[in-house]
Amino acid sequence: MIKMAALVYGIRNALVRSSNIILSTGCRASVIGIQKSLHTKVLKPKCSSSLLSVKVNPALRRNFAVAKPSLDDVRERVLRVCKEYDKITADKRTRLPIRLYSSKDPMTLELIRDRVLLVLKLYDKIDPKKLSLDSHFINDLGLDSLDHVEVIMAMEDEFGFEIPDADAEKLFKPGDIVRYVADREDVYE
Amino acid sequence: MCSKRNILNLYKRLLRESERFESYNFRQVPVSINYAIRRIKDSFKENKTLNDQEQIQKEIQYALKNLDIIKRQAAIGSMYNAGKLVIEK
Repeated sequence: MIKMAALVYGIRNALVRSSNIILSTGCRASVIGIQKSLHTKVLKPKCSSSLLSVKVNPALRRNFAVAKPSLDDVRERVLRVCKEYDKITADKRTRLPIRLYSSKDPMTLELIRDRVLLVLKLYDKIDPKKLSLDSHFINDLGLDSLDHVEVIMAMEDEFGFEIPDADAEKLFKPGDIVRYVADREDVYE
Repeated sequence: MCSKRNILNLYKRLLRESERFESYNFRQVPVSINYAIRRIKDSFKENKTLNDQEQIQKEIQYALKNLDIIKRQAAIGSMYNAGKLVIEK
């Protein structure tokens, strides 16, 4: 009796694992069939969503019933991983679908300058002809302190970080703002 | 309580909270800035030239009360969101 149970158990497991292989070779109907008859859940490949352009390494998928890899196989896989090793993304790589929560675009001083000037040009209380890096908001461009607050808010929205009041009080020219943002973003030139 | 910096800080907070209003009902189509923002800007400009301390204090209290109202309403509005209207898409 026990032997029978063990046999059945063995066959069942083999079927489950083979369904895994079948799944990885893409025949869903048979997998569902096996699933239903055995009332088991098939182990899905680990990284099934392809949300990002970073391609998921198919070698990370676990195939439980594959025969032992040959030496050539192992050699090839090791070489492939080494070739793909890239310092920048190395420590971000995990076994789960990768989510890059904090990727920023590369900032240069010139880019900051352009963005600041663009935001100011789009502000309708500023005359774009008078606008330059050294034009003082209040004295040259004729804004008042309320407008100054609005400008600082626009800069916060553009660059994505909060500027405390103490710092905002000192930023009276576009050049000041550019320097401040560069300091915050660690852009040195 | 009534330093210039405090008032500007209040202005900023009011504007930030009003930006969080989502519903179309609070906006106007051509300008696409909601009622709260416009009202805040207009009233601050109007009261810019006030010099009487007592009057200033009264306005500050009024502003603080409205800040609370806006915060509450923005939070409630985002809780019971009715989905975007066709015009907004």
